[in-house]
Amino acid sequence: MDFFDAINTSSAALSAQRLRMNLISGNLANVSTTRTAAGGPYRRKEAVFAAQPLDQSFKRILADRQNKHLSTVRVAGVVEDRNPPVMKYDPGHPDADEKGYVAMPNINVMEEMVNMISATRGYEANVTALKAAKDMALKALEIGR
Amino acid sequence: MPTDGIFDKTISLLERSLDLRSLNHRVLASNIANMDTPNYKAFEVIVAEEMNRYTESAAKIPFVRTHANHLPDKTQPSNQVNLKAAKAPDFSLRGDGNTVDIERTMGNLAKNTLLYNTAVQLIAKKFNGLINVIKGGSR
Repeated sequence: MDFFDAINTSSAALSAQRLRMNLISGNLANVSTTRTAAGGPYRRKEAVFAAQPLDQSFKRILADRQNKHLSTVRVAGVVEDRNPPVMKYDPGHPDADEKGYVAMPNINVMEEMVNMISATRGYEANVTALKAAKDMALKALEIGR
Repeated sequence: MPTDGIFDKTISLLERSLDLRSLNHRVLASNIANMDTPNYKAFEVIVAEEMNRYTESAAKIPFVRTHANHLPDKTQPSNQVNLKAAKAPDFSLRGDGNTVDIERTMGNLAKNTLLYNTAVQLIAKKFNGLINVIKGGSR
């Protein structure tokens, strides 16, 4: 086992949580955007995380078969929410259709706030894990003193 | 360079490791300083690879330069270090071409510091052993 597996895993997770946080900010900023480059209202964006084995080289897999359950996280992609846009009755809106309905983004502010807390906590937890791994290694160095 | 006499090869190897780690620290610090610089490409020193290169070239028989105009022997360990482009994040929302992954960089910084401390301790222990021999053991 590599001594620094924990640090590698936590840094990848921190990176992933930060990307998620950025997407949430983008969603909140565009909560009432009705015009996008692709046409139509803004669609909620979400990051998809995938577990990834730490190291996939043959040598590594053979050397530490006891660690085969260890995996880090990677961002598999950024996807758009497939829920339909919310139709809001607002005949005065310049983007309203002939019946007076405006297609608004499919963003639920409450949901975004909850996701934001989850991303923040996830980030904090990973910082703590990384710090703990670092402290453990420093403690190991004290043996040699 | 292999040192003879009372200092064995481990000390020079550890010296090289310390050199590379301090260089790596500067490289990582530069990446952190430029985390918001547009088009900045993160780079890194792969210390393990550089150490391999160093030990491989140290194992070769050196050419002797008997004249100042002789071409230098390129197979000998030199202080040249290869800097590599660091792996860019898999997904980046920024469009400014910057490839610094701050979390990964901070993780690498922590690892680098730990390994530097380890090498320092090993070298200190080596010297302690020598001092012990010079003093004639614990008296």
